[in-house]
Formats: sequence, structure tokens, C-alpha cells
Amino acid sequence: MSEVIVITSGKGGVGKTTTTANVGTGLAQLNKKVVLIDTDIGLRNLDVVMGLENRIVYNLVDVIEGNCRIKQALIKDRKYSNLALLPSAQTRDKSAVTPEQMKKLTDELREEFDYILLDCPAGIEQGFMNAIAGADRAIVVTTPEVSAIRDADRIIGLLEANEIKQTQLIVNRLRMDMVKRGDMMTVEDVCEMLAVNLIGVVPDDEQIVVSTNKGEPLVGSDALAGKAYANICKRITGEDVPFLDLNKKANVFSKLASLFK
Amino acid sequence: MSQPVIIKSNRYGINLILDPNIPFQELLYHIAEKFMESEKFFKNARMAISFEGRELSQEEEYRIIEMISQRTSIHIACIIDNDEAREEYTRQRLDAYLAAESGNTGRFYKGTLRSGQVLECDTSVVIMGDVNPDAKIISAGNIVVLGALKGTAYAGVPENEGCFVVALDMNPAQIKIGNIIGRSEKSLFASIRERKKVAAEPQMAMVSNGHILIEPITKNTFNNI
Repeated sequence: MSEVIVITSGKGGVGKTTTTANVGTGLAQLNKKVVLIDTDIGLRNLDVVMGLENRIVYNLVDVIEGNCRIKQALIKDRKYSNLALLPSAQTRDKSAVTPEQMKKLTDELREEFDYILLDCPAGIEQGFMNAIAGADRAIVVTTPEVSAIRDADRIIGLLEANEIKQTQLIVNRLRMDMVKRGDMMTVEDVCEMLAVNLIGVVPDDEQIVVSTNKGEPLVGSDALAGKAYANICKRITGEDVPFLDLNKKANVFSKLASLFK
Repeated sequence: MSQPVIIKSNRYGINLILDPNIPFQELLYHIAEKFMESEKFFKNARMAISFEGRELSQEEEYRIIEMISQRTSIHIACIIDNDEAREEYTRQRLDAYLAAESGNTGRFYKGTLRSGQVLECDTSVVIMGDVNPDAKIISAGNIVVLGALKGTAYAGVPENEGCFVVALDMNPAQIKIGNIIGRSEKSLFASIRERKKVAAEPQMAMVSNGHILIEPITKNTFNNI
């Protein structure tokens, strides 16, 4: 049974694309056949984060408009042959495709892939409607900031209204040091407000910036964020994985840091 | 006048516009005809009636009412004079009645109201869920939130200041009762964070001396309603 999962957030810059890249790569590491679709037409990014920007020949809009076959537009990942990317078009805008066309496309991809991940653009307009059209479930990414949470709340409401049955939450870029000082919301605060199931907490990690710039998702690496993403992937496949103890790690780091002071 | 009788309905009932020039018997016939045409529409309705366009004696008014009662299922509750001061008075009384009624009838809404969602209700409303920041409830009567109220609640819309807002976890961005507005001084961040430190207790917001007053619910609270 293949699944179409949309990764969305409402607010921009909270880590949708990074999450899509890492979750996609992580699922491929679990030997699943995965395709990532960048639905952010006009502002594509997923190709860069995946390090595949130089290989784009055809894109999503070409497929929709029938300029090429799906297979021609899919770019195979450099590391995992069971992972592919359908890049977005940079020269067009969101109105180039319709929700019906997106649904048809994702349904066709179901035949070949276990997981179809849709990287949703920010906002609630047509780009969002396109991205969720064919989705079975949604992963909402938020950071522990009021602006991101309020947008996530709005998005969850819209997902409910559009009858996406299963919605799960990733709290991204958590900083335990700030939480301890009371300067950042806790994961519990976020979950209580949004009232959806938590599927992962990703700590703020500068390694993410490094990996994004390199075009190599860090899922599965020893970096704390890499471990967090690997756990999220297992949870997506239905495995029950305990949450990382971010406290403990933060303590080790702060102890190390205090040694050098 | 092209038609001897015109029926106009308004919020409070119906207004009959009558031809002043034809004989009363003929007028009565036209009224009967008009009402029978619209019998289905007005079926079993209970309404007030007013007359316009023709001076009627008390007896004539009585005969019209009797005819309507006999021929149709409409219950005429009262006759409203077409006198502006009196009409205004009636309007006020009826509005007060409707406002009181909106406090006595209600509906339930199950689910959490999320950012951007608005629930409008011409009666009182009970929300079984949370009202999140940036969500809004507008009610003609009272509002009861069986959850956390973190968004905006307008009770007693448009101007019933006798209404109240109750929430198990009272943390609203804004409350408006009738025309009185109260807003939180707390930032969204603070209101989400503070939740843990203070165990939530049910509270009630009402109008007191022209301000919104929020108090924990005790036995005395209900004596003031």
C-alpha cells in the first residue's frame, strides 16, 4: 500500500523542504521506494537541498502539460537508487497546475512507489490546495514560535476541512537551552495548543545548514537532528520509537561548553 | 394603486398596505384572497399585524383579523399601530424579547475552532473543544466553552450586555459582550506558556459597571445572571 504524504506548515521558513528531503532520504534508507515532489512552482528549493539541481531536464509542469512522460522527469538520487525527485518548474507559477491534475499525478505514482512525499509551498492559496489534493495524510512542520504555531493551527483547520484524515506534527528547531530558560515554548505547549499527534521533535542543529548547503540530507548521521529524522521515518512506517532525550544531549554539550569557559 | 392589498412581512410580523379608495367589503374580499394565496407560506405562523394606507375603524380592524383567523392558520398575536413612536417601542420590546430568547436557546458545536475559523450563532452556543488564538465565536446569546478559550468571543451580539461567556480555561485574546470590549494584556507567547503555572479553573466573563469582569465560577456567580 503506497501512501501520499504532504509536508506543510502555513508559514514559510520553518523547515518543510529540509524535512521533505530528510524524511524522503530516511525512508529510502529503510528500503522503501520513495518519490519527492516539489510543488512549490516558481520557488523551487528541494532540488538544491537534495543536491540534484544540475540534473533537472523536465519538471512537474512539463509532466502535467504532457511535454514529457513522468519517468523522464524523475531524477534519481545520487546515493539511493530507490529515491527519486520530481522537481518543480522555476519559470511558472502556482496556477500552472490544478488540484485535479495533482491528484491524477500522485495516483499514477502510487503504482511504482511506496511513499510519495509532497513538499508544500508556504501559504494557503492554490499552491497549498494543489499540494494537498492527492494526499492521504499530512505532516505539519512548525517551530516553537507563536507565529509558526498560529499558522500551523490554521493549516490543520484547513486540512480537516479538506478531509485529510491523518495529520501529524513535527516540532522543528527546538532549543532546549531556551526552553529551560523559559524563553521558548515546550513541545507540550505546542502539542496542547494544536491538539494533533506528535510524530517527531527535531532539535535546532547547525549541521542542518551545513547539510543543506552541501545538498546531502543528514538523516541517519550521528548529528542529533539526523537521529531525530531517522526516528520520524520509522514512525511514519508505523514503528513505535521512543522520543530522543534532547535534555541529556543538551546537558552533555553544555557541560563540554562550560569546560572551555 | 395597482393592487388593492399588498402584504409585506418584516422581522416582527406582517404589514398590510391597503387601498384607501375601494369599499370595505371589496377590500375584505381582496385581503382574504391575498392571504389564501400565501396560506402555505404563513402556515401556523404567529405574528403581529399592522395596517397602512387606509384609516380603519376598530370594527373594521376586528373584521379583518376575524376573517384571517377563520380562513387561514395564521395566529394574529397583536395589532401594531402605524405610529412611529409606538412602532419604535414595539420594536424595542420585541428585540429585547428576541435577545432574551437567544439566551435561553442554544446549540452545541463539537470540535476545536482553529485559527481563521469563525462560528456565528443566533442563539447561545456551547463549544465542546478549544477556541484557539485567532478563532472567533459570535453569538447572540451566551457562550460556553468546554475547553480552553484562547481566541475571541463575542456574546450578546449586537447589544445584549446581560450575556456571559464561560470557559474551563479562560485565556481569551478578546471578549465582547454587547458593546463592551475587554482584551487580554498578555502576549500570545505568554498565554501559551503561563498555562502550566496556573491550574485552569472555570471562569465566567460578564459585564459589570461597563467593564468586562472575569471571575472564577462560584455559587454566587449564578445569582447575578
